[in-house]
Amino acid sequence: MKRRDFVRSIGALGLTSFIPSFRHSVIPSLLIPMDDAQTDHLKAYGLTYKAIQAGLKAEWLLNYRGGSFLVPDLDALRRDAALNGIRFEPVDSGMPAVRGEIEANNMDVVPLEKAPKVAVYAPPNAAPWDDAVTMALQYAGIPFTKIWDADVVNGGLRDYDWLHLHHEDFTGQYSKFFLIYSGLPWLAEMVQRNSDMARRLGFQTVPDLKKAVARGIHGYVENGGFLFAMCTATETIDLALAAEHVDIAATFADGTPIDPDADAKLDWSKSFAFTSAHLEPNPLVASFSDIDGHQVNGGARRQPLGAFTLFNFSAKIDPVPTMLVQNHRQVISDFYGLTTSFTRTRLKPGVTILAEEEGAPWVKYVHGDLGKGTWTFFGGHDPEDPQHQIGDPPTDLSLHPHSPGYRLILNNVLFPAAKKRELKT
Amino acid sequence: MTRSLNWAAVASLVLVFSADPGRAARGQAIGPGFELERSGRYADAATIYFTTVRSDPTNLPALLGLERTLFVLNRMSELLPLVQQARARLPESPALRSLELRVYAALNQTDSLAAIALRWAASVPRSDAPYREWGLALVDRRMWDEARRAYLTGRKTLGGEGTLAIELAELEQRAGNWEASAAEWVRAVTRSADVGPNAASQLADAPAPVHEHVARILTGPDASVRVRRVGAEVLLAWGQPNAAWVVMEQTLGQDDSDTQVALRRFADLAGALPTPEGHRVRGMALTRWADFVPSPVSDRARAEAVRELLEGGDRAGARRVLEAHADATALGQASLLQILIADGQLDVAAARLETSKTTLTADDRGALRLALAQARIARGELDRADAALGDDSSVAAIAQRGWIALYRGNLKGAMEAFRVAGPYATDRAAATERTAMMALLQRIQEESSPELGAALLTLARGDSVAAIVALRRAASRLPVQGGRLEVQLLAAQVAAQKGGDQEATAVALFDEVVRAGGAGAAPPAAELEWARLLVRTGRSAEAIPHLEHLILTYPNSAFVPDARRVLERAKGAIPKS
Repeated sequence: MKRRDFVRSIGALGLTSFIPSFRHSVIPSLLIPMDDAQTDHLKAYGLTYKAIQAGLKAEWLLNYRGGSFLVPDLDALRRDAALNGIRFEPVDSGMPAVRGEIEANNMDVVPLEKAPKVAVYAPPNAAPWDDAVTMALQYAGIPFTKIWDADVVNGGLRDYDWLHLHHEDFTGQYSKFFLIYSGLPWLAEMVQRNSDMARRLGFQTVPDLKKAVARGIHGYVENGGFLFAMCTATETIDLALAAEHVDIAATFADGTPIDPDADAKLDWSKSFAFTSAHLEPNPLVASFSDIDGHQVNGGARRQPLGAFTLFNFSAKIDPVPTMLVQNHRQVISDFYGLTTSFTRTRLKPGVTILAEEEGAPWVKYVHGDLGKGTWTFFGGHDPEDPQHQIGDPPTDLSLHPHSPGYRLILNNVLFPAAKKRELKT
Repeated sequence: MTRSLNWAAVASLVLVFSADPGRAARGQAIGPGFELERSGRYADAATIYFTTVRSDPTNLPALLGLERTLFVLNRMSELLPLVQQARARLPESPALRSLELRVYAALNQTDSLAAIALRWAASVPRSDAPYREWGLALVDRRMWDEARRAYLTGRKTLGGEGTLAIELAELEQRAGNWEASAAEWVRAVTRSADVGPNAASQLADAPAPVHEHVARILTGPDASVRVRRVGAEVLLAWGQPNAAWVVMEQTLGQDDSDTQVALRRFADLAGALPTPEGHRVRGMALTRWADFVPSPVSDRARAEAVRELLEGGDRAGARRVLEAHADATALGQASLLQILIADGQLDVAAARLETSKTTLTADDRGALRLALAQARIARGELDRADAALGDDSSVAAIAQRGWIALYRGNLKGAMEAFRVAGPYATDRAAATERTAMMALLQRIQEESSPELGAALLTLARGDSVAAIVALRRAASRLPVQGGRLEVQLLAAQVAAQKGGDQEATAVALFDEVVRAGGAGAAPPAAELEWARLLVRTGRSAEAIPHLEHLILTYPNSAFVPDARRVLERAKGAIPKS
């Protein structure tokens, strides 16, 4: 069964479809604890990924010691763990006590079967340090391929199991930095590169190209792909999808003003997560709509950062959201991005909220199904650089090996590797 | 609306509120409009402003609110009849006239814009405001040629070389015509000295390829003193302190308040340059400035000038300043003694130090004794270094005596002195150096080793190549697990730092230490240094096996966290910092 079928089955069949988690393994194993005993949480994901990439069986012990992993006790894995400073504990085969504890509590064991093929959507000139996901993958040692507009438009997404969206502006307005940062070389290069790509692929304007790319990504998810987006990609991909036949780009981006009735004409049935949002029409304000709760560039509308709390799901009934929130911290400091959070009233019914700021009108981390695939949106730019500014030095993850925010990113990378267990006979 | 217009509109609004309480009361009616605008509801805000203007057609805050919101909504044409109506009721209002020009510019009706501006100019024949607002409206639309024509029309009509020069200078700068901008700033500065700092600050942004042309305009033979001083400041901002000082110095012929102010400003600006040239030029400027101001301000200025000259490596200059003022303060005397020590005139310095006992502070005296002792050590004069410290019982002096003992080969005495001095004597770097030496010495069982002392003295005197040879020789006389590896590691570190031909020596020594292994800290330290050397020389792939070996062989070593970071960097998993 493919991973996409697994995800669907989990949603459709519920608890009774699964055999009990208890299993008697006789293979000597290494327990990789993910609670405070772990010495490098982020590298631990890389070790587990490498194990399943090598064709070994691994298990994810949901809610057990911060979402620990179990991999076979092999010299190669011990060596890798030692080199990377990852704490592991040799365990007796079967671990009856641990499995008993898992069985009796809100915990579960998910087998990890096949390493997902990872694609990161980013411009060819983007440095590896421009994007939190790329940094996390690079640090953890998880291989990935960079793709861009041409790959998406030409159907290249089918080669990948998992797609991450860089902090792209799918409305084609260059993050609305066009007027604010006018004349700066990096912006000029971004404009040139996008314009060239639009021409090469036969689109009249960059906004037209980005809308087509957004539709391509939507189709990829419908057909079983796993999508993970952060920062402004979350908000703008939905705006681009809802605005398929509406001009929502300012004059500087496509030569024509925004349709004055754009708000009313948006078709939210085409979007992933959001509905009924109002666009920000001012080309000088680097904000796109009222989807973002924090409005970091919205002047008086800007909201201060707080902390967000991860939801606690039932591991045996909702393993997917449970996997996505595995962490050694329940409350995590918030961090800004061009899109920092998602206003509750703009979420579609049925969207699963994975993390929220209690009492605030926004949430941080959401998830949902679409067709045969799933999508997850995480607000903010860099969990370890809360005030991220253009030109800031890159985050060095070796200084943040326990980052709970980065763990959420890596949960997303690993969860497509989960295998549905055989049905009870 | 561009940002500059936005600010202009907001500024006008503030002025209107503060100047007319009646209007302020009426302005409160548009308060909700402001709030709506701030929350991004521009259409709703515009409705409030329209309602206000319908009942009060000349309400400027409401009209400015419409200017802001209708621009965003792409509905500027709706504003024109309202502004025309308001202007007809208050034809003398410059704010309404300006607004009318901006609306025409936003609607791209440049012919009407010119006609309206000229009509306004005819009504106020001696004012440059109509031309300024006309030009600004066009500048905000990036219509450089039309804006230039507007300003030059004003200059021609009103007469005067410097009329609208600031506006033209800024226009040329935005259009990228830096030479033309500089020429206009010359006219502006000639007309009013007050604009000098603004001119310098604006021209500081000129790109490097035009620096020479702009400098020629500001510092050429035809330039006035006032303009040349602007030129000097611009050169400073471009990071050319020496050229800047040459220009500045030529303007210092007379003692007047302008000269004094210009010199002080120049010195302050030079303070922003962290280069030795910057320090030196600041020192020279302060020295000249001190001649214009009375004591004690001049004394403080000279003391600061000496410090700057020393920072800039100009010991001769600093000494001249000090010697020219024989009645120098204690601070001046201390500086002079520092210069003498740095110049190598140790006997003169020692004699002066002896005779200045009463005028120097205890701290200065202690610091100078240490500096003198270090200078003696650098010459190999260990006895005289010891004598220079005299009866000083401070921890810094004890630490210094420890080094002297070490260089004499008295390892036990050195260890004891370092232990007594503790980890806090002198600065952090020196404390770290002492701790590292104690770690080396504690591996050696012998109480004395003249070979090692001599090798370390050679190193302290700066002869790295000879020190490497001497350290290797001293190491060979020590047992493998009794200090040999540590001394070899030190020799290897010196060789690696030296680079070039010595790199091969460093690698051979690292290899020897790593192969020897054992329980001490030297083998993992050597392997880490070896890997660092390889990464530094672009051979990261070769470094990786060394780092992996270190981590796996010495998992409990204090060098493992560092090794992991170097490994991450060698693999490209973390950014270079």
